[in-house]
Amino acid sequence: MTYLLLSNLSKYYGNTLAVENFNLEVERGEFVSFLGPSGCGKTTTLRMVAGFEVPDQGKILLEGEDITLLPPNQRMVGMVFQSYALFPNMSVADNVAFGLSVRKMPADQIRQRVSEILKIVQLEELQKRYPYQLSGGQQQRVALARALAIRPRVLLLDEPLSALDAKIRVELRAEIRRIQQELKITTIYVTHDQEEALSLSDRIVVMNKGRIEQIGTPFEIYNYPQTEFVASFIGQLNLIPVQVVDRERGAYRIGEQTIQIEHSQRIPLSDQPKLAIRPEEVKLGKVDGWNQLTAQVRQISFLGAIVRIWLELEGVPLLLDVFNERKLELPKVNEKVTISFPYHACWVL
Amino acid sequence: MSKRNVLWSWFWMFLGGLYFFLPLLATFEFSLKARKGVYSFLAYERVFADPLFLRTFIFSLEMAVFTALAGILLIFPTVYWIRLKLPQLRGLIEFVSMLPFVVPAIVLVFGLIRVFSGAPFFLTNTFTGTNVLLVAAYVVLTMPYLYRSIDTGLQAIDVRTLTEAAQSLGAGWGTILFRVILPNVRVSILSGSFLAVATVMGEFTIASFLVGIRAFGPYMSLVGQNKTYESSSLAIISFALTWAFIGLIQLLNRGRVQTQIAGAH
Amino acid sequence: MSNRLTQNSSNQRDARDARPVPSSLLNWLGVLPFFLFIFLFVFLPSFSLVSGSFQDRQGNFTFQNYLDLFSPSILSAYWVTIRISLASAVGGGILGFFMAYAVTLGGLPKGLRNALLTFSGVASNFAGVPLAFAFIATLGRTGMVTVLLKMAGFDLYDRGFSLYSFWGLTLTYLYFQFPLMILIITPALDGLKREWREAAENLGASSWTYWRRVALPVLTPSILGAMILLFGNAFGAYATALSLTGGFINLITILIGSQIKGDVLQNTGLGYALAIGMVIVMAGAITIYYFLRRRSERWLRV
Repeated sequence: MTYLLLSNLSKYYGNTLAVENFNLEVERGEFVSFLGPSGCGKTTTLRMVAGFEVPDQGKILLEGEDITLLPPNQRMVGMVFQSYALFPNMSVADNVAFGLSVRKMPADQIRQRVSEILKIVQLEELQKRYPYQLSGGQQQRVALARALAIRPRVLLLDEPLSALDAKIRVELRAEIRRIQQELKITTIYVTHDQEEALSLSDRIVVMNKGRIEQIGTPFEIYNYPQTEFVASFIGQLNLIPVQVVDRERGAYRIGEQTIQIEHSQRIPLSDQPKLAIRPEEVKLGKVDGWNQLTAQVRQISFLGAIVRIWLELEGVPLLLDVFNERKLELPKVNEKVTISFPYHACWVL
Repeated sequence: MSKRNVLWSWFWMFLGGLYFFLPLLATFEFSLKARKGVYSFLAYERVFADPLFLRTFIFSLEMAVFTALAGILLIFPTVYWIRLKLPQLRGLIEFVSMLPFVVPAIVLVFGLIRVFSGAPFFLTNTFTGTNVLLVAAYVVLTMPYLYRSIDTGLQAIDVRTLTEAAQSLGAGWGTILFRVILPNVRVSILSGSFLAVATVMGEFTIASFLVGIRAFGPYMSLVGQNKTYESSSLAIISFALTWAFIGLIQLLNRGRVQTQIAGAH
Repeated sequence: MSNRLTQNSSNQRDARDARPVPSSLLNWLGVLPFFLFIFLFVFLPSFSLVSGSFQDRQGNFTFQNYLDLFSPSILSAYWVTIRISLASAVGGGILGFFMAYAVTLGGLPKGLRNALLTFSGVASNFAGVPLAFAFIATLGRTGMVTVLLKMAGFDLYDRGFSLYSFWGLTLTYLYFQFPLMILIITPALDGLKREWREAAENLGASSWTYWRRVALPVLTPSILGAMILLFGNAFGAYATALSLTGGFINLITILIGSQIKGDVLQNTGLGYALAIGMVIVMAGAITIYYFLRRRSERWLRV
């Protein structure tokens, strides 16, 4: 039996569609991310699982129990809010203990559980502090501890790191994953940051305009995107208009140059077919057995670990990423170069 | 939102609404009963025909406008200057702007009379002198609102950058203050002025001790002692006036909440 | 090339040294008019009252005036003033709080909120002489409500009520007190983050538990602070009481007013002491208010 089943969920605000036909099966202990741009419906779906929104259609089943219409304070799911939402009038310990004291747990048990949880998030010494005395990262840990203290069946996180500095975000990100795996708790994580989703999740649900675009592992989403939206939303992607020569054999033409792709690509051809390839799959120079094309160098950007080369291919921009090396030999601007990429590294949209 | 909660909300609104409107309704109804047996605007006609009404009304209006002008002239450059050069004084100025609450009107006028009616000022010996004292007192009284409005307005714009930009183009302080900064805080200054004018128009305490029935507040009180219907119509006129001013302010401010602590009590 | 660079920086140093020192003194000149005004029209009168309160009839220094504040008639005036201020502050506070709640969190249509805030802005300013007239027209002996109730068989004045009494004045004060409460407490209610309620529900709390353990504790400093402000507001009120009761109820402000008109206490120093006593009460009120506001701001800053 699926641990958490979201079946055909839909939600409308008046005439505006927020979420439509959302279907997902989550296994116990799995870390699933909802990824997409603002307004795609990911937070709305999360809030339906938490009980703060009621779906217009569909069901939510948790461990076989239908919780679709259950009020939020009876669901035993833990939520971590983007703005932390710590109770300002209570200390850290009291905040964490809140869910337990509501359930009328005996005081000494509460104390013990609170210490336990604070140890896991590494905030034991700050027990008596008040939220206004804590940094953003510390507050978020308290929020996490508070949600985990009640041993929820599912942990829900609504863009928990978006209000934090970049460096803290990366640290806390790893923390969250570590804690999730240690406690083996089923987790749904909402974010608009692809790096977060890719690095944390067992599976990602990519959403756009209220609908699911694709569900898959990070590897699948990145390397085998099933729609143009997913392909261009995740990572950098080159899109180059092509003309069809022979679709069955996978032969296409860019300007006067021809290329070959593996024809086992299942994305349907649109009216204006485009070649899609990631910048890191394109290499400088001639490689035997690969597609070879001539392009002109326009600009070179040094990004640290990566050197990004902007080329012009038959009048269309093409990005090429190369790993940095100390003795890297780079072409000059306006130089004409040969670039190569394998048949399997690209696909046609 | 449970149905029961919404019911309670309507209950409180109803109670409050009753409290707001009943006195107004009663006053209005009373003011229409000047002619026996029939509703008429006789009381209003009598009031508007009373030369003293116009005289006191205009007098208070003049005082109110002077108060607003003097207040702005005093407070606006000061708040601007503090924001620009002396930010450490902000707390002090905020405290000072709360002083009128600590020294209520009755105490203020007591002290003012004691200080300024004798040597070396002798302000109360002449009409002009007394008027000056009156405006000064009103500036003190309306200081909290004027300060708050101007401060809010200045907070919303980047005073330092605007000043530096103007200076780099060769502007002097006067130009900066009145041609660069002032237009950008027009709305706040206007709303503060309206609040000040509304307060001064109906003020009684200070007016009664300094200028007596030359002012509108004491005039209303005098009417109330002799003519009941006219006093009701005056109350309605006064309320409509306050309404107009505050309504204008709300229109200007659209959404920001204005709080006042002292009033024409 | 390096010479040119160092040359430039030393030029800049010279230019800085050439500026008049200290420019900070000139800065203080800018705020001189304001402080001069405050000195003339706030501090001078206040000091004058203070000095007057320490003088006896011959002009000698004495504490007697302050001791005389504890005479029974004056104490009872203080007591009446405090009771009226308390009654109207608490009454206005409660009514104002529930109305503000109704219009922020109470599920009423959005338009009602703006309407209420506008009305509160007007009503809190509608005090003094016209307010007294309005209440006489409502609850006076021939007031509209009095007459209506009499027609329904309920004779207010027979049952001992009078507008020209303690409770009548309190009722009148409420007219500007509860709108003031609404204006002050609405931002505080807005400051209650929706997420707090959701977090509490998420952790299993009922609505009542959320209010009891999170919302009310967070709001308490604001509510108390507002009521203190209301207290001070009523304490210093003069015109309304005078217009309504003609000085019949002996409030401190009325007493001071009579003293200004003529030496009714047979002791001008005592009058000054009364005024200073009032200032002390108001100063105390506003200090407590500031302290409470600091507390709530600290929490809500999170």
